[in-house]
Amino acid sequence: MSEIELQNLSKSFGDIDAVTDVSLSVRDGELLCLLGPSGCGKSTTMRMISGLETPSSGTVYIGEADVTDQPAYDRDTSMVFQNWALFPYKTVLENVAFGLKMRGMGKQQRRDRASEMLERVHMDGYESHSPTDLSGGQKQRVALARSLAVDPDVLLLDEPLSNLDKRLREEMEIELKDIHEEFQKTFVHVTHNQDEAFTLADRIGIMNEGRLVQVGEPNEVYRDPKNKFVEEFLGDTNFVSGTVSDIDGQYGYLMTEFDSEIRVPVASETQPETSLTVSLRPEFMQIAPITDSSNRASHQTRADGNGGGGVSGTVESTIYRGSSIRHVVDIGGEQLFVEQGVTDQTAIDEGDTVELRWDVDDILVFRPDGTRVRD
Amino acid sequence: MPRNVERLGTAAFRIGYIAIFVVMLLPLGIVVATSFSASGNLQFPPQALSVQWYSAFFADVVWLRAFDNSLVAGIGTTVVATFMGITAAFGLEAHRGRFGSILTPIVILPLLIPPVILGVTLLVYFSRLGLRSSYLSIILAHSLWATPLVFFVMQSVFQRFDWQLRDAGMDLGANPIRVFVHVILPNVKSGILVSALLAFIISLQEFVMALFLSNYQTQTIPVLAWNSLRQSLTPIVSVVSTFLILVSVVGLLVAALATNIEFVAKRLS
Amino acid sequence: MSVDPRTTVLDRLWSPFEGQSGSRRSLLLMSPLILFELLVFVVPFLLLVRISFSEQSQGLPYAEGTFTIASYVQVLQSELLQGIIAYSFKLGIIATLLTVVLAVFYAYATWRASGVQKSALLFSVVLPLLTTLVIKTYVWVPLLAPNGTANSLLLAVSLVQAPLQMVPNTFGVVIGQVYIVFPYAMLAIYSVLTTVEWELVEAARDLGASRTRSFFAVVLPEIMPGITVATVISFAWSVGAYSAPALLGAGSDRPFALEVQEQMLVNFNWPIATALSTVMLVLMFVSILVIYAVLGRFGGDVANAT
Repeated sequence: MSEIELQNLSKSFGDIDAVTDVSLSVRDGELLCLLGPSGCGKSTTMRMISGLETPSSGTVYIGEADVTDQPAYDRDTSMVFQNWALFPYKTVLENVAFGLKMRGMGKQQRRDRASEMLERVHMDGYESHSPTDLSGGQKQRVALARSLAVDPDVLLLDEPLSNLDKRLREEMEIELKDIHEEFQKTFVHVTHNQDEAFTLADRIGIMNEGRLVQVGEPNEVYRDPKNKFVEEFLGDTNFVSGTVSDIDGQYGYLMTEFDSEIRVPVASETQPETSLTVSLRPEFMQIAPITDSSNRASHQTRADGNGGGGVSGTVESTIYRGSSIRHVVDIGGEQLFVEQGVTDQTAIDEGDTVELRWDVDDILVFRPDGTRVRD
Repeated sequence: MPRNVERLGTAAFRIGYIAIFVVMLLPLGIVVATSFSASGNLQFPPQALSVQWYSAFFADVVWLRAFDNSLVAGIGTTVVATFMGITAAFGLEAHRGRFGSILTPIVILPLLIPPVILGVTLLVYFSRLGLRSSYLSIILAHSLWATPLVFFVMQSVFQRFDWQLRDAGMDLGANPIRVFVHVILPNVKSGILVSALLAFIISLQEFVMALFLSNYQTQTIPVLAWNSLRQSLTPIVSVVSTFLILVSVVGLLVAALATNIEFVAKRLS
Repeated sequence: MSVDPRTTVLDRLWSPFEGQSGSRRSLLLMSPLILFELLVFVVPFLLLVRISFSEQSQGLPYAEGTFTIASYVQVLQSELLQGIIAYSFKLGIIATLLTVVLAVFYAYATWRASGVQKSALLFSVVLPLLTTLVIKTYVWVPLLAPNGTANSLLLAVSLVQAPLQMVPNTFGVVIGQVYIVFPYAMLAIYSVLTTVEWELVEAARDLGASRTRSFFAVVLPEIMPGITVATVISFAWSVGAYSAPALLGAGSDRPFALEVQEQMLVNFNWPIATALSTVMLVLMFVSILVIYAVLGRFGGDVANAT
């Protein structure tokens, strides 16, 4: 049994609160990603799980046991460090065998197990090399083998892929997922990279300013972010602010920065004159050229009653980003960006007048303090 | 439970390094304290306080002459060592050749040879040259120790210097000495200050070589202090020591302000 | 047309370097130091060796122009001088072992400290380092004397019944000598320690190594170069110790530095003084090679690490 339970965990360094009141359960065999910007407390949280840091308050359970007061060397967790922390004066094999040696395993036995682990991460043949001679990707594999060799209940990964280039990182992501499936262990993976978290995680825990903001499955946190920070951190989006001018049932009209009203879903307690910010995600918007010249000057919202919404404007720039094209559209002095698949046949060029359309129910609405407005 | 064992270990660790900290600094504190003793012996803590030994120091022409001698030796060493250390470090940084790899070990070697042997060697040599007991002999001997420190401080300063600035200066048509004066010097002057201070302090505090190379006329403060200690333990030595400690403290603070104490500390090893 | 006088001086200074290649130029820059080391270090040592092969003379420090190995024979055969050499090495070994162990501990503590605490710990070694040997030695007299501070403390807490005899004897000499060389040893180790990644220690602990074990398994091999330098410095200076034995030692236990000084300045027997110095230099050089060979086996050698 190796689920992890954090209860009201806090850690401060002097006057700085690194982690504040984090409670979190990690299920047995789950791969949980702690995601957040640097300095958000995700690494400190992980270090408290490993025992390298003692919490200022709160409790850490691994399995059934309260391990809060157990130092790192007594815990059945194993960590893969950001810089991999391979012992430079030991060979690759000795690095992998180190934890087994500390556990008192016999020499031949630990060598066999270490070799087996190296084979698993495709590093057989490098046993007698010095870690300083290895490339980043190879060091990464050795570090992984070293941590897996001690057969830990929990494997902790502290941004282990952040020092690799993009291609290698994507390769290692797949391999980590394979290893997770094969070893069936509880993994906690810390990263600041959203793509990495979405690729790897069974569930994602998003942290900001020392607090755990939201935990959930990747599609859940993406589709249903708890607040503006999560929405902003998980992907590129357009935020548009405005004041509610009128309420019509579950919908309200927002007078926006680009001087036109858009229809947004509101909650029952929303009053007119309140400020709100909406998120218009590029993937929820369709872009289409306007050929009708009479419509040109109008930035008018088109409320056609079936939940659709839209604005029109001029394409200011077009950037080819490989699989997609990003158009920046000027609407009354404000910019919105939208993405178009390269396979989309509609040709849109800079200077064209276009219409952006969306489904009103796809819009996420936030209060000025960042909390979500839900219907 | 295991965390408590760790805490016990932490406590023992802390007691250990605090003890060393105290043992390292306490003796110097005691020296300063005994300089204010009212009695004629070096008892700690002193029974009664007075500044009589300070008056005695300033009234004693022998001590004052030693003070002058130390100043001459210190300034001479600073000039000689700083000049040689900077030019050599600059030459080595500008172009690493065959000579560079021979120079470094030779420059370090005097620091590893017991000062008594250096003293004997230089006494024999300077007697031969007719320079026995001269200021010059003391200055050259002290430079043997001060130059390596200047050399290593300046080497690391030059290594951190952005050499593209020099190239830019050259590109603009300045000759290398002008580039050195106008481009490099302003950037490395704190390093030069630190190394000059170190050179001065080394000379001021050194006494074994000076013991061999000086006479009654040219003896420096540490030599005179040593000679008077061999006769009796007088608090006047504590007075002198207090001055010497003060110079080091001030020099160290200036150096630490110019760079930082970690930089100074690492260069001394 | 006005000419900046500074400019013309600088241009004139450059003229000898004009048209020289890069390596020539840097050689010119290095030449003052090279010349200095040659004239104030290399040549004097050759002279030292030459005089050690001169005949001893009654009226003069040495008989010029003579050649004999008599002084070496005397140094190597005299029981008194053998005792002196042996005592020097005994002192060197004891002081070095103590110094290096303490220095590793203190360097580690300084490495782990931060902010003001770290600066204070560094200050506590740099200040004594920059203080004259005379002070560092004589301060132990009132501290270690039978009626001194240390004995008063020990008597006050009843650890001893009667005052301990700490000076003048070898105990006091070792204390004084360790105090003298400790800062150099500590800084040599510290500057290597600062290049070690703390994560390595964390990784070792995470993999089940206790604190002590993680230190010996991970930190120690990495700082071996610093320990080697610290050992060599402590050893060379303790074998050649002068002030501590002179002020804190008993007259009967004499290291070679005191003997050399006496032969040189009191007896005016330069051949003996120089021969003894040369013999000691050779012995120390051999010892330093041994230290390098022995300590080199531990650090950096991958094959021996497990």
